[in-house]
Amino acid sequence: MSMSSAGAAATAAQRPAPRKGARRDRIRLFQEMGMLAPAVILMTVFLIAPFILSFWTAMTNQPLVPRPTPVRFVGLANFIRIFNDPLFWTALWNVTRFTIWIIPVQCGLAFLTALLLHQKIPFRNLFRGLFFLPAITSMVVVCVIWATLFQYPTGPFNQILGFLSFGMIQPIDWLGDPNWAMFSIVLLSAWQAYGFQMIIYLAGLQGISEELYDAARIDGANALQRFWNVTMPGLRPTHVFVLVITTIQAFKLYTQVAILTQGGPKNSTETVVHYMVRIGYEEQKLGYASAVSVILFLIVLVIALLQRFLLRRYDV
Amino acid sequence: MGKRLLLASSVAAILAFSASAEAKTVIKMMHQGDPGWVAAYGDLAKRFEAENPDVDIELIYAPHDAYNEKFSAAVMAKQLPDIMELDAPFLANYVWSGYLAPIKDVIDADVLSDMTESNIAQGTYAIDKQLYAIGLTDSSVVLYGNRKYLEKIGARIPKSVDDAWTREEFEANLEKLSKVEGVKWPIDTFRGYGIKTEWITYAYSPILQSAGCDLIDRKSWKSEGMLDSQPCVDAMTMMQNWVNKGWVVPQSSGTNQFYAEGHPAALALGGHWFYAEAAAAMKDDVVVMPLPKFGAKGASPDGTWIWGITTASKHPDIAGKFVSFMLKDKAYRDYAKSQSAYPGLKSFAAESPLYAPGGALAVAFEQASKTAVPRPPHPAYPAITAAYMQAVDKIFNKGDVKQALSDAAQKIDEDIADNDGYPPFNGEQ
Amino acid sequence: MSDTALASAPLAQPAKVPAIRRKRFNAYRAIQAASMLIIALVIVSPLFLLAVASLKDDRFQILADMGTFRAFWVSNPTLANFAEVAHFSGELAFGRYLLNSLIILFATVVGGLVVNSMAGFVLAWGSLRGRAVILALVIALYVIPQESIIMPLVIMVSRAGITDGFAVQIVPWIASPLYTFLFYQFFAQLPKDLFEAAEMDGASVFRVYRSIFLPLSLPALATVSILMGIEAWNQYLWPILVTQTDYARPISVAIATFFGQDSIFWDRAMAASVLMMLPILAFYLAFQRWFVSSFVGSAIKG
Repeated sequence: MSMSSAGAAATAAQRPAPRKGARRDRIRLFQEMGMLAPAVILMTVFLIAPFILSFWTAMTNQPLVPRPTPVRFVGLANFIRIFNDPLFWTALWNVTRFTIWIIPVQCGLAFLTALLLHQKIPFRNLFRGLFFLPAITSMVVVCVIWATLFQYPTGPFNQILGFLSFGMIQPIDWLGDPNWAMFSIVLLSAWQAYGFQMIIYLAGLQGISEELYDAARIDGANALQRFWNVTMPGLRPTHVFVLVITTIQAFKLYTQVAILTQGGPKNSTETVVHYMVRIGYEEQKLGYASAVSVILFLIVLVIALLQRFLLRRYDV
Repeated sequence: MGKRLLLASSVAAILAFSASAEAKTVIKMMHQGDPGWVAAYGDLAKRFEAENPDVDIELIYAPHDAYNEKFSAAVMAKQLPDIMELDAPFLANYVWSGYLAPIKDVIDADVLSDMTESNIAQGTYAIDKQLYAIGLTDSSVVLYGNRKYLEKIGARIPKSVDDAWTREEFEANLEKLSKVEGVKWPIDTFRGYGIKTEWITYAYSPILQSAGCDLIDRKSWKSEGMLDSQPCVDAMTMMQNWVNKGWVVPQSSGTNQFYAEGHPAALALGGHWFYAEAAAAMKDDVVVMPLPKFGAKGASPDGTWIWGITTASKHPDIAGKFVSFMLKDKAYRDYAKSQSAYPGLKSFAAESPLYAPGGALAVAFEQASKTAVPRPPHPAYPAITAAYMQAVDKIFNKGDVKQALSDAAQKIDEDIADNDGYPPFNGEQ
Repeated sequence: MSDTALASAPLAQPAKVPAIRRKRFNAYRAIQAASMLIIALVIVSPLFLLAVASLKDDRFQILADMGTFRAFWVSNPTLANFAEVAHFSGELAFGRYLLNSLIILFATVVGGLVVNSMAGFVLAWGSLRGRAVILALVIALYVIPQESIIMPLVIMVSRAGITDGFAVQIVPWIASPLYTFLFYQFFAQLPKDLFEAAEMDGASVFRVYRSIFLPLSLPALATVSILMGIEAWNQYLWPILVTQTDYARPISVAIATFFGQDSIFWDRAMAASVLMMLPILAFYLAFQRWFVSSFVGSAIKG
């Protein structure tokens, strides 16, 4: 039985449940509910409940910490103010830009390294360790390192560029030039986080049966053909998963920006979550910040569902 | 059965344990700091507990970068400590919100009378003129210079605050320095600290005050008409020009250009703490000068992390006793001194040769009594500083100065309006 | 589909296949290994800077070297920083913070594997109605950024009285939309025959999950263990907000002391950062062995 036809068959909703008596069905149902319950309860308490609280907070003028002034219900005033704030639209445009750039760079790097590591090569475990090192480095340290690499005008990147171009390329102010800052954040983020997608791809590659490759070889398929006809179709669900996850993660961009550029220069790296934290913690307007998070939630939800809908036929 | 018995006995044991712990008065203190400070507080608590066996000092550490979040979480979880370390400009906000209690009655009189003017100013709430926080230390910003470069351009080196460089002198020197060989940037204003750091408001707003304006009108508490007034626009345009001419170390060039190899930056507008770094690399080539005068009078920043007692404390007297003990403790002072801490107590200043007359940072200490201006002591300060930071980022990136400042002023006034004017700061009682 | 055709092609003369492969073994492998090494070097080189800095004794020197190629070079390396970090002067010994982090990591990962894999399994193969809706909701939940729920969460746990300990650092992060989704994805890929055959034999849903699907899911289990482990290991803001004393503080918070307000202790901060990477690296290396090749296929065939 091949993987893809099995996968297609597993499209859960259409699969008829076996009929073996009502009692058995009931037991089965109870067991399923029991298995689902821990996750549902924990997520309800620790994710849904606080998020519903922030829906409510979004309609008030609640400050971060209690103040002598009364907390008022302000309806949609926070939302109106957000939509009228050009900075919010800048932030939204910035994360969109970031997402469009990061998906090919990060997922491409992850896919490439996973393919390499999947082969039977000497010292495979050593390479798996090396390739994963960036992913286990804490973001603070990553930012310290990359700030040095990016330094203007004498940092390593600028020196390498100058050397390779025989001095033709002028030093670039990677993090200080509004035209470059977001791109620099993309480079750093992809480097730090590709290991995440890499191991998902590695797991996905394990799911492709070796027999498929053997069969392809016997049919006379060369490496490239095997890649296109076995590997790629086998990874289709993984690609969709990685795409959806990476998009959501990209829209939540915060830590790197908070440490390195704080939204600058000239708001060129301001992101929606950074905007939210700036308002919530620094200006202490929790109500307003909650409204931002509600909007972010709705936007990304629509995108994620749209992606799943559009890619449905490739999904399992 | 066995399990239940075990559970019951362990519950009993826990109860017994907490009962014995409750016999002592627990004083919780929330603080930040590097490993040296953490150790200093730990030792301090042990010494105090040895002298006061009925008191248990519990230290709650929060890293600097997450300290505000920790404070907010503590407020919301109703877990405010007895004593908390706080950044001076946020004092008005905390007092107005009702988190801090006056401390005059619980701190030893000899400590109170030992405070410098600037230390009193940073701990005083503008409405009731009461003292709400106290510190061993204070802070300031000075102008560091590279002796070799200054000698090359024949610049006059001011000896005291009174003969600080004027604006014309300062800008002329920047111009001259920009042409000296080896100087890549005439000045480092530490843009490398980032654009969302208190440093911006702390270090740059005295330039506004010296130029004759401010972040906000300190009588009417309105920012429009003040932050976007002509003197402020002129002052920020002046800074923008420095940046545009390439005189200022860019944000992404780090914070080490004053003493990095080749000494690319000739001057540094830096905090007192920068001296240790610079002197470690450059020894006697570091010159410490007062901040220039940009208008009729000089201005310099002050304020640092100080100690307050919260309204949640059930034992403010014991908390006060501990704070007094801390400020007088010799080992604690010695550690502060080893970090070249800026004195906030007169007796501590007398013990600190670095800041005494003739000491390398004497000028910095002189500023405290002559030019120090606290940041606006108003509960809207979090919004004020956030708005100003944003304006500075726009201005340093070739944005329209007038526009950036009036946007900031508008944001500040909007925050004040959102909070009904922060009564009684709006004149209502 | 082309791969279906390939799969159903008769497996003729399987013995010949390895023979063909062996011929090109050496040259091909050598080129492969060399190119891997180059890519690995490019990817890892930024981390040399960290390793090198941790061996420099003078924090001011580290600062002065930053932003040039000298950041990649140390003239007289020393392990003094590591010794100093080991003699860390917090309330607890440095080793204790390490232990705290390990406790939190293992409890979160073990709990997370059980809870999320069960949920993912039911979503993939269960007979419950509305599974598609729950799945959509789970993906939606992943959209919520931690930054936006952290304050309400602080209020909730403090009202519930669970603060300052291990439980409050573990329990909230066990159930994860991301990893439930990941398990769902993996289980749903497994062939339908597996499930049906087991059910025919009269196995209960839980048994099918535990005895058949879980043993086949080592790559997924490894993936989730590693990713959850890193997340738990690097938790920073949450432990600061919910712990009061040092008793259950993780190492990430302890290391933050080196990044002080005015003065960053670059020497020790770098050494501590290196130290902090080692346990999680060992954890990763231990789990990545679970990426064994193609057992799914052989399980179905056999």
